[in-house]
Amino acid sequence: MSDNEMTIGFIGNPNCGKTTLFNAYTGANLKVANWPGVTVEKVEGVMRDHDMTIHLVDLPGTYSLTSYTMEEMVSRQFILSGEVDVIINVVDASALERSLYLTLQLLELGRPVVMALNMMDIVEKRGMEIDLHRLPEMLGIPVIPVSARQRRGLDILLHAAIHHRGHEAPDRLIHEHRHASRHQHDHDEYAMVYSDVIEDKIDQLIPALMLRYPDMTNFRWHAIKLLEGDREITEKYPVDMPQVLDRSYESDIINQKYDFIGEIIDEVLLHKEQQDMLTERADRLLTSKVWGIPVFLGIMAVTFFLTFTVGDWLKGYLEIAIGWLSDGVTAALAAADAGDVVTSLVVDGIIGGVGTIVTFLPNILILFLCLALLEDSGYMARVAYVMEGIMSKLGLSGKAFIPMLLGFGCTVPAIMASRALESKRDRFKVMLVTPFMSCNARLTIYILFSEMFFPDNAMVVAYSMYLIGIVVAIAVSAVIHVIDRKNTANYLMIELPEYKLPDGRTVAIYVWEKVKDYLEKAGTTIFLATLIIWALLNFGPGGYCSDMSDSFGAVLGRLLVPFFEPIGLGFWQIAVALIAGISAKEVVVSSCAVLFGIVNASSAEGMSAFAAALESIGFGQFNAFCLMVFCLLYIPCAAALGTIRKEANSWGWMWFTAFFQLTTAWLVTFAVYQIGSAILF
Amino acid sequence: MPTVIVLAVIAVCAALAIRRLRTRRRKGCGDCGSCPYRDGGCH
Repeated sequence: MSDNEMTIGFIGNPNCGKTTLFNAYTGANLKVANWPGVTVEKVEGVMRDHDMTIHLVDLPGTYSLTSYTMEEMVSRQFILSGEVDVIINVVDASALERSLYLTLQLLELGRPVVMALNMMDIVEKRGMEIDLHRLPEMLGIPVIPVSARQRRGLDILLHAAIHHRGHEAPDRLIHEHRHASRHQHDHDEYAMVYSDVIEDKIDQLIPALMLRYPDMTNFRWHAIKLLEGDREITEKYPVDMPQVLDRSYESDIINQKYDFIGEIIDEVLLHKEQQDMLTERADRLLTSKVWGIPVFLGIMAVTFFLTFTVGDWLKGYLEIAIGWLSDGVTAALAAADAGDVVTSLVVDGIIGGVGTIVTFLPNILILFLCLALLEDSGYMARVAYVMEGIMSKLGLSGKAFIPMLLGFGCTVPAIMASRALESKRDRFKVMLVTPFMSCNARLTIYILFSEMFFPDNAMVVAYSMYLIGIVVAIAVSAVIHVIDRKNTANYLMIELPEYKLPDGRTVAIYVWEKVKDYLEKAGTTIFLATLIIWALLNFGPGGYCSDMSDSFGAVLGRLLVPFFEPIGLGFWQIAVALIAGISAKEVVVSSCAVLFGIVNASSAEGMSAFAAALESIGFGQFNAFCLMVFCLLYIPCAAALGTIRKEANSWGWMWFTAFFQLTTAWLVTFAVYQIGSAILF
Repeated sequence: MPTVIVLAVIAVCAALAIRRLRTRRRKGCGDCGSCPYRDGGCH
């Protein structure tokens, strides 16, 4: 890399504010979340400063640099590859003790490191102090206090990083370990000096490594890894020294690192005993074994209340706009003498289909605003913690609930977040049940059908869908657990962050990204699906047909009716909408709008016309409930299926998941319909 | 004539939508509407 170009890698524990810092520099809109696994692979951004092009790389959040998980491997390989000129170790100052373990590992990698001490405001608020003079003396690296959220200290940090380029040896180290060591001289070179036993072994291993692997760049680090019995290094650089490598020294090395961290904390952290009383008091209720889950369900209910009430109020204005657009376009096409087919395509097809989806935007916006506030305040991490008990009973780790929680937003990132699970077996289990969590796309179906058929209890019905999704996901996990009795110890390593007032910028970025993507989806996938559906429903074997029941769509739908009959959905129109919904779940709604020629389906008039049209074919309240249950559980959308294929690296697994979801959806809806029919009629 | 113009506009829009989707697919994007990554790739 040339002199006017450099690469800076950001690394830190999950939830240390690393991604916020990266966003602050690059102006990027990366998602920031309060749980691990959000940055599963490195992400790059570019900026210019000091007449240089600076490549910034956001590495996955990790607690250590072993080779056990994907996040750790990605980070370690990147740093070792030599692509990075300076590492910025982002440290949560309010959790200094835990953060320093990764710092000590980074120092051993022998690359230039600068520490960004983030969240100093929380430290001050708790009445603690960090000795910023002593900390660099003990670590041998520059330590820069920053606030990623308030964008303070960013220039100084960047300045330090640029000046630290190529500075591999530590800055002046001033420290004497508590234990007397024969290796005292090493303190001039290394911050972390081990006990004599381990240092002697390192001294014996280094010459052997030099002899056998002369191109190796960091002999001390490799020697330490060999002593730890690191899987990757042992396989890659075997050394035949059984007298030195007589056992794994991993636990000794870890313990000695923590001893040194203890020394650092004793010297640099003042008034450590002060706790954040608010967090402690709030956690007593929110993470309580008894109240944790009811409180979570209550908070989700409030989210729904806001999604429906505030969302519907805003939706009214969009409906008026769509109404005007539709009237205006109809008039313009009539004036231009454009013909019935084109008018039907534009008004019933495009405006009816895409327009209907766009009117749900306020509801989606409110849902995501609530989720963003919950996430950024630190609450969502508690939910994963609270659910750990249930998950572990199902043979899954608490980590498994994180992808499931993300599934409330969208199944695709939720499936990707399953990478945080170490065991492949667990990953596949989670990939199988995550699509049952109700994503935002399905919300449009619930809003329309619940408001149409359950006007007095729309919110309760929609909320029940989310609960059914959670219950089915948990029940399926339980069944898998009974069949596959293998438990994996996959403990939830989640830091419960301080509660804080959500950051406006982070929340705005999160919500804006969702809104933008929702509109983009309406303009691409849903637009194309609507065109195809319109064509299928307006053309038949005899060409353009004014009666949809003669169309190709009707022919296809009628073939599928026997499959849907036992679950209360034996209508060819519904069959067509459900098949189309595989492209994206919202398409179920847009297809219905096209099918029944309803232009402004979510408006009061649109809904009554829609309900009347559905009732005329015998589709009533109970059928609507069955439709919602089936939509909740059936085949995930095309994007989710694509992600499952990619993550599992298997077409077979993707088809199995689709088949499995379809079967589950059919069986659950069958049970609901048959039991409901027996009770109601 | 107006019919042809309207159909042509729709065809162009459809072509643009297909191109957009194909670009995102090529990048490896799942087009999920919730991409946490800046460059639009799902990685």
